[in-house]
Amino acid sequence: MRQQSWAEPWKIKVVEPLRITSRAERERAIRDAGYNTFLLRSDDVYIDLLTDSGTNAMSDRQWAGMMLGDEAYAGSRNFYHLEEAVQRFYGFPHLIPTHQGRGAEHILSRMLITPGSHVPGNMYFTTTRAHQELAGAQFHDVIIDEAHDPDSEHPFKGDVDLDKLEALTRRVGEARIPYVSVAATVNMAGGQPISLANLRAVREFTRRHGMLLILDATRAVENAWFIQQREPAERGKLVADILFEMCSLADGATMSGKKDSLVNIGGWLGLRDEKLAEEARSLVVLFEGLHTYGGLAGRDLEAMAIGIEESVREEHIRSRIGQVHYLGEQLMEAGVPVVRPIGGHAVFLDAAAMLPHIPREEYPAQALAAALYVESGIRAMERGTVSAGRDAVTGQNRYPALELVRLTIPRRVYTQAHMDVTAESVIAVHEMAAQVTGLRFTYEPERLRFFQARFEPVHPAGLFTEDRPERALTMAISR
Amino acid sequence: MHFTTIIEPFRIKTVEPLRQTTRDERISALAAANYNVFLLQAEDVLIDLLTDSGTGAMSVNQWSGMMRGDESYAGGRSYAVFERAVRDVTGFAHVIPTHQGRAAEHILFSTVIKPGEIVPNNTHFDTTRANVNDRGGVALDLPIPEGHEPQSAHPFKGNMDVEALERVLAENPGRVPLVMITITNNSEGGQPVSMANVRAARDVCHRFGVPLFIDACRFAENAWFIKTREPGYSAHTPLAIARELFALADGCTMSAKKDGMSNIGGFLAMNDEGLAKRCRTRLVLTEGFPTYGGLAGYDLEAIAVGLREALDEDYLRYRIRSIEYLGEKLLAAGIPIVTPTGGHALYLDAKRWLPHIPQGEYPAWALSCVLYIEGGIRAAEIGSVMFGRQADGTERPASLELVRLAFPRRVYTQSHVDYVAEVLLHVNSLAHRIRGVRMLDAPEVLRHFTATFGPSREGLLAG
Repeated sequence: MRQQSWAEPWKIKVVEPLRITSRAERERAIRDAGYNTFLLRSDDVYIDLLTDSGTNAMSDRQWAGMMLGDEAYAGSRNFYHLEEAVQRFYGFPHLIPTHQGRGAEHILSRMLITPGSHVPGNMYFTTTRAHQELAGAQFHDVIIDEAHDPDSEHPFKGDVDLDKLEALTRRVGEARIPYVSVAATVNMAGGQPISLANLRAVREFTRRHGMLLILDATRAVENAWFIQQREPAERGKLVADILFEMCSLADGATMSGKKDSLVNIGGWLGLRDEKLAEEARSLVVLFEGLHTYGGLAGRDLEAMAIGIEESVREEHIRSRIGQVHYLGEQLMEAGVPVVRPIGGHAVFLDAAAMLPHIPREEYPAQALAAALYVESGIRAMERGTVSAGRDAVTGQNRYPALELVRLTIPRRVYTQAHMDVTAESVIAVHEMAAQVTGLRFTYEPERLRFFQARFEPVHPAGLFTEDRPERALTMAISR
Repeated sequence: MHFTTIIEPFRIKTVEPLRQTTRDERISALAAANYNVFLLQAEDVLIDLLTDSGTGAMSVNQWSGMMRGDESYAGGRSYAVFERAVRDVTGFAHVIPTHQGRAAEHILFSTVIKPGEIVPNNTHFDTTRANVNDRGGVALDLPIPEGHEPQSAHPFKGNMDVEALERVLAENPGRVPLVMITITNNSEGGQPVSMANVRAARDVCHRFGVPLFIDACRFAENAWFIKTREPGYSAHTPLAIARELFALADGCTMSAKKDGMSNIGGFLAMNDEGLAKRCRTRLVLTEGFPTYGGLAGYDLEAIAVGLREALDEDYLRYRIRSIEYLGEKLLAAGIPIVTPTGGHALYLDAKRWLPHIPQGEYPAWALSCVLYIEGGIRAAEIGSVMFGRQADGTERPASLELVRLAFPRRVYTQSHVDYVAEVLLHVNSLAHRIRGVRMLDAPEVLRHFTATFGPSREGLLAG
């Protein structure tokens, strides 16, 4: 099952020291952070797998590009370079840069959604849905059922269920659906890809019903790799060509360059329609910046343009996903319940299966992320009930089918040894999972609560029912 | 020997080549940009005085901060460095980073303004006004009358009319969610606001229980003017003056692209914890997590260093003096400018310079086109194109027709300034031949950025 070597197609040019903490320090740190890994200080974290967003290591070419930043307020040459890269690899004629992905989502939602609209999509994403709701739309999940089953081996768990889409359209009427929102890959399903065949079918459907198709292209390069590997009709094609073809099926795309494009900041909105692009340009001035910089320094536009070219190279993407799978396979071999198949940017632990003794109302995934941090200094992210938030109408907790903890791998940052330590730590927590207790809110923000919420353990003894010994964190390095 | 020449308090570490263009090339470039200098390609510009926002040169210390950037999504140490630096200068308890100044305005206004409410300001800048209007609020300008008189020698022409503020607060109980003071007052010529004026405004705000926020973009330049012009402050450091001024307010919005000496970034800071929580809830939706706010970790480091560099006395003396120097050359040639010269820019008074062009033909806009064609200089109109369109869609001429020559921080040398003076003297000899422009197409909001224009029938220059 283990694939061919995924050796990195680069060597290390600049390093950043890590700090190793004691268990007592970590117990104090997680308590101070309200048992929310988002609120930990990065200095207290050993291996940071919170997110792959903006945490990438840039290449020497990108840093050289940083020095070529043209910081003119208007008409910077870096904008034209980025525009060229987006047109060449993503194929959208109109590019509106934004400071990051949610800036693009904000503008898109304000343009296309009127109160009372409905937006179907292949599973929600936190900020995407928040913007749709803020603009007055209701989100509908139309992903295939297999996406909600962590054990299903379906190769394209990001696919849209066209029957669900059809049923929704009949129920609310096509006029109230301004666009179908398609993510590639689907983050909340475990970084799972959508197939090209399915995307074509959705395109066909939206064309028939006069709806737009908007792609969340954040990890579309990773998605293109899965299409190349798993979709028989596409085998042998270049990842770059598949990416271009995926985008050719969409009317527009929101992009966070902080993922696929290997930068620390930046995003964009790509559009085909000239009039929509005009409208987007007048909104971007209000919230982001003039349309030729969109709230980014010129150097950031340049780094993103170079990052796009690097991101579509076969050897890069093979090594990127190879590393994620290397970690996932170690965990599967040890019997740790994870979402399968392993996704593109992260390994997702199935917290409901790992901690069956903690009821959903006590947020097992949040507790697992906190426990993993205290055990090993590894920071992961809850992607379960806390992330799903409350229903906009009833105010009740939404309980998604998946209660997950995400181990997200930053691009080009960690080594194979770091992955080994991570696997050993997760396996150790898996073995003592019965001792982990649930959590309850002590502060719950109104929107996107997972970012800033605070908790306390429900058990008087704390997060663990028994005292735990110190673990050596450097075993993989010192062996 | 006491030397009086003011030199740049730095030497050059990295340079960026400039491209020379011919007059013919510039004529076609401007036509291709629809006679809007915002739409020119930066490569076709020789001296770019469009704005001082985000166009500065960073120092070696800022660049080394860039390499220390911690790109962790949450709780990064670069945020701790940034928070400490902002607190140190402003004294505000809660520090919320944003990708730039207008995002701080957007977050603050969407949290506190309800439709129909009034926000008084000495003078709103364009993005501030647009963000107030976007929330259904009314952006009310209350400058002192001298602010509108280009030749008045008042040392603090940026001041707010505090009596007018008092009337507005008395007549609109419960309808004013906050009062803002912009330092320096960009729209009125980069003119400073005195400590006494901020204190008086603060007293009125206190009496009516309304919070006072500072639009702090150019707080360091304003501090320098207080030091050099306001009695009792000559022995104070710019840092002490900045701290004293911020202590009068409840919070601030900041574009770090100005006196943060950075190419990108901004922040929102305040003392009210409840308000800070509500702002952070909004922040995660449109900007990013509260410990990065839509900025890379490296940007947070660059701003932390930049805030202190902006308050360096030698730097401020050199900066303000460079602009004064250009002003003296122009005044000697009889070119009408706003006096005294401001902190970040020199403002040409197009209404007096080109009295033959009616305001409906946008004299300041036409002048910005001519400056580009004659000398490759790019400057921004601050006149009826920027301010003429009212919230209800009607058109009203602006009180001033200015062209702003905004100086990027630490970028251009004295020879560049001498060249700019030479071009302006040449344009002065052509002034009577300059003709107005026609607006062809413009978006409703912030139209100056993307509007398109055409020359008059006689062209930009008659004869």
